[in-house]
Amino acid sequence: MNYNLSQFPEKQHRASNLAAFRNLLQLISTEKKNLVLALAAMLVNSGLSLLGPFLIGYAIDHYITHKQFHGVLIFGGILLGAYLLAFLVNYFQMRLMGGVGQHTLFTLRNAVFHKIQELPVAFFNQNKAGDLISRVNNDTDKLNQFFSQSLMQFVSNIVTMFGAGIFLLVINYRAGMIALVPAVLILIFTRVLSPWVKRKNAASMKTTGNLSAEIQESLNNFKVIIAFNRRDYFRKRFNEVNETNYQTSVKAGLANNVFLPFYAMCSSMAQLLVLAGGVYMIAKGEFTIGLLVSYLAYVNYFYSPLRSLASLWANFQIAMAGWDRISEILGLESNLTTIEDRTSTGASASLLEFRDVHFGYPGGKEILHNISFNLEKGKTYALVGPTGGGKTTTASLIARLYDPTSGAVLLNGRDIRSYSAEVRSQQIGFILQEPFLFTGTVRENLLYGNSQYESYTNEQLEQVIKEANLEKLLALFEEGLETKVASSGDSISLGQKQLIAFMRAVLRKPGLLILDEATANIDTVTEQLLGEILERLPQETTRVIIAHRLNTIESADEIFFVNSGEVTRAGSLQNAMDKLMNTGISS
Amino acid sequence: MKQETSNQKKQPGIASLLKPYAGMIFLLILFTLLGNGFNLWLPRIIGQGVDAYTHGTFDAGPLSLKFSLAVFVILVFTYLQNILQTYASEKVAKDLRTSLSDKISRQQYYWVEQANPSRLLTNLIADVDSIKMYVSLAVATLASSIFIIIGACILLLIINWKLALAVMAILPIIGVSFFMVMKKVRTLFLNNREVMDWLNRVINESILGAALIRVINSQQLEYNKFLGANTRALNFGVSILRIFAGLIPVITLIASLGSLIILVLGGHFVISGSMTMGDYAAFSAYLTLLIFPILLIGFMSNVIAQATASYQRISAVLNAPDTSGKGTVNASVQGNIEFRNVTVKYGEKEVLKNISFSVKAGTKVAVIGPTAAGKTQLLYLLTGLIQPTSGEVLVDGYTVADYDSGFYHNQVGFVFQDSIIFNMSIRENIAFNQQVTAGSMEKAVTTAELKEFIASLPEKEDTIVSERGSSLSGGQKQRVMLARALALEPRLLLLDDFTARVDTNTEKKILDNVQYNYAGITLLSVTQKIASVEHYDQILLLMQGEIIAGGTHQELMHSSPEYVQIYKSQQSTSNYELQS
Repeated sequence: MNYNLSQFPEKQHRASNLAAFRNLLQLISTEKKNLVLALAAMLVNSGLSLLGPFLIGYAIDHYITHKQFHGVLIFGGILLGAYLLAFLVNYFQMRLMGGVGQHTLFTLRNAVFHKIQELPVAFFNQNKAGDLISRVNNDTDKLNQFFSQSLMQFVSNIVTMFGAGIFLLVINYRAGMIALVPAVLILIFTRVLSPWVKRKNAASMKTTGNLSAEIQESLNNFKVIIAFNRRDYFRKRFNEVNETNYQTSVKAGLANNVFLPFYAMCSSMAQLLVLAGGVYMIAKGEFTIGLLVSYLAYVNYFYSPLRSLASLWANFQIAMAGWDRISEILGLESNLTTIEDRTSTGASASLLEFRDVHFGYPGGKEILHNISFNLEKGKTYALVGPTGGGKTTTASLIARLYDPTSGAVLLNGRDIRSYSAEVRSQQIGFILQEPFLFTGTVRENLLYGNSQYESYTNEQLEQVIKEANLEKLLALFEEGLETKVASSGDSISLGQKQLIAFMRAVLRKPGLLILDEATANIDTVTEQLLGEILERLPQETTRVIIAHRLNTIESADEIFFVNSGEVTRAGSLQNAMDKLMNTGISS
Repeated sequence: MKQETSNQKKQPGIASLLKPYAGMIFLLILFTLLGNGFNLWLPRIIGQGVDAYTHGTFDAGPLSLKFSLAVFVILVFTYLQNILQTYASEKVAKDLRTSLSDKISRQQYYWVEQANPSRLLTNLIADVDSIKMYVSLAVATLASSIFIIIGACILLLIINWKLALAVMAILPIIGVSFFMVMKKVRTLFLNNREVMDWLNRVINESILGAALIRVINSQQLEYNKFLGANTRALNFGVSILRIFAGLIPVITLIASLGSLIILVLGGHFVISGSMTMGDYAAFSAYLTLLIFPILLIGFMSNVIAQATASYQRISAVLNAPDTSGKGTVNASVQGNIEFRNVTVKYGEKEVLKNISFSVKAGTKVAVIGPTAAGKTQLLYLLTGLIQPTSGEVLVDGYTVADYDSGFYHNQVGFVFQDSIIFNMSIRENIAFNQQVTAGSMEKAVTTAELKEFIASLPEKEDTIVSERGSSLSGGQKQRVMLARALALEPRLLLLDDFTARVDTNTEKKILDNVQYNYAGITLLSVTQKIASVEHYDQILLLMQGEIIAGGTHQELMHSSPEYVQIYKSQQSTSNYELQS
């Protein structure tokens, strides 16, 4: 499956606004009740605000022109009541609609994040972190802006507009028709230009994603930029993406502003049309002057929401472009699904078996060619070989970070794909080449994803650590379990990160533990300690060790030599050494 | 308390932000006002039409002409206004981003780490965006709203000053409720931004730690963390919303009271004959004109509050003191290094304690020691990535800070411990510094034993390597980084645990190559393997921030029990190393 979001075909964007909006509504179906309530409030509110001019018009025609002030006062009282009621309903409506907006944003962010969690490692390798962050943050924020700032106005404007439109038609059918002619022009104009506006916004968001990716890369690697004297280069690269972002944003901005002046012109023209038409109709005795005054107000009630709709419509296009980018992620499926076991052979002697495995990263060359081997329970295996030979790839297949392109990986005689992620991750521990810590404390990192000890006090946990023979490693951290660590930066050394990753994996008590150069930056004295800890793991634990430093693999029961995508048994350590010494470096 | 003071400082700030664009903003406001001015004229024309009709002097021709002309002029000015608005806001955003990146690029490493890259990312993207929104929406809207309010008020006064004053009495009430809301919402917006930072951090870590999360199958845990942050964000969003949900109806109610006043009082005037029916119609039309901008300001208050909070965050970055070096020495580096009583503190923790040693130019020195002994910091001091808390680091008699940093860094090659590969071609990754020539790149590639590997790539040196270098193996990344350092033709080469991810065979070849191709280079190597550095001129043993022993291998074997212990921990394998 292709996970590269930047290579997505354009055709997905073709889906109509309506269809996209419907999908979006489906996602927020829990908000249906509030949405309906808010809509009802909005209807009442719009009705009340439309009632105002009608009452005023009536009062003018019947009382002011007939010089009856007490009638004016009565209508004033009615009007005040209507305004107060409108105030309450208005507040109710704002609360409800705003709540819908906030909850929608909440649901949407959760949905994107949840989806991202479902996707396999391949997805993260094919996309830049900065671009993903931009999608989760900035694109959902575009939707947020629409929902929290525009949706209320959007819906209430549409309701007011329709209400006013109906009033215009009901009061006087012919005058109404005249007043609505410019609206038809607006409709056509909008329909024609909307896709273009959305496209421009999509392009602008894409460059924002690139900007974010560039910043992410540069800032996270800032020390290289300083040490290699490339501050100017950082500025230059940043200026380039900044400039592109500026260009596309200006285009998007201009596109977004195309509606408003035109809408405004049409709404003004409507007034003129009503005046001219109204005067003509009064002359023919079909219309009164009081009606004309309130009619002019109604025209305003129809067109001034339409005028605000112009900029809201642009916001809607922005939100839809953001939604498209989010939908691209939501539409992805993990290619690592759990399958029915077809190879079930019951009990098997070997814990793990590779059977004719071929593998290549998506879009790349084949890395592993027809590999078969098996690992037995309780033994220690070492994978050695030159850099780039396929050791890490082999280990990644064992942990099912990827599936083989052909062949099968069997765990306890069953296809590894038939295990649930939960069961699999309990059995297989994998200490990655690049250790990763979450910002927090050592304790939080040790217990990360390990619910067994979560409720333990520090004392109890220290006991557990002692039983796992890890207490000497913990002692290397000044404040023990409560030592603070940060995910990025140099507050903690690479070796220390590796120690935490090691302890974390051991505490999970996996049946199969893979160490991918997991101790490369740890000093040799501590490393001996790690060796002892590995020795003292429960008997049935199988260990797979990938290392360059040979002392770490001395204790292996069996050594596999991995080179050029082939995995072969190397026999003795001496034999493995000879092989290693005699191969070229590059594969 | 702190927030109060910073709030006061920022108030002139957000206006001064627009100063360089005074011309543009002036034109923007001018066009906005012109457009709106003509807009005010429209009801007048309509009103005149109504009056003309009641007096029987109605003539459709000139009236339509006048009206259409006004409408056309308005169209032109609004388009001009919108174009300018777009350019101004995008330009402010672009320039703000440029000055942020300039500022960041001049800062030292520790500053960037402290400021936190993911927060800086939010500053550069989301915070700038809300300021952009402020410029594009609020500036013109505020200007035109205030203008329309004033204009409408004047026209109302002209038509009937008594009625006008009665209607205008509503304005101060709106102003007061507005002010109260803004005051209340400001802190909420700042808090909200902080929750957003937290949310971003959770997202960032879940992306960067994706592999670990999948190995451990802790997706649900990450989701729960996210849910926590997101719920906080939701709660803040809802509290902000509650305040605004109160503001708009209040404004609408007060504005509606205006219509009521017109009906009752205006009705009275018309009945008593002190006001014409046409004036009355115009009066109600102007009132709608008056209400709309007031409502708009209500909606804009959200944007303004958000932008103010964002600008406060951005100013904090822009006004941070410059930490970049002011060194001027541009002597060429020989490689004589001297550490004099150097102490480095991270917060309260002493990472290096009173370190003193010296290195003669052209010699080879190894630093060994346990994890977290401070080895990397030793190299960082030599690169100027961190500064000593006390003491001096001298290179050829000058402190590192004395050197012109560009000049200095061009002569010092540093191979970092963690793999840092940029998402660009292999060539750009290696020739990372501008002054690298084709020749020096070639030499570096050969020395790092990358020639065959590069030849095997589909597009040779022009192959793009992916972010975080995930398309390269650990050892390949390490060698690309070595080549990057060597391509500088450095006088001083600093290796931080270079050998950790390269197999023994390759390592030996590469180190031999360095000796041969870069004769006379001063080498400082942090390493774990004694076997590869036994013949070095000096070996320093660093433990818990202190140098506990130093000398040649032979000397240390006699004098330092700790060294012997480390040596023994590796001895069984050194048999193999020696064979090769």
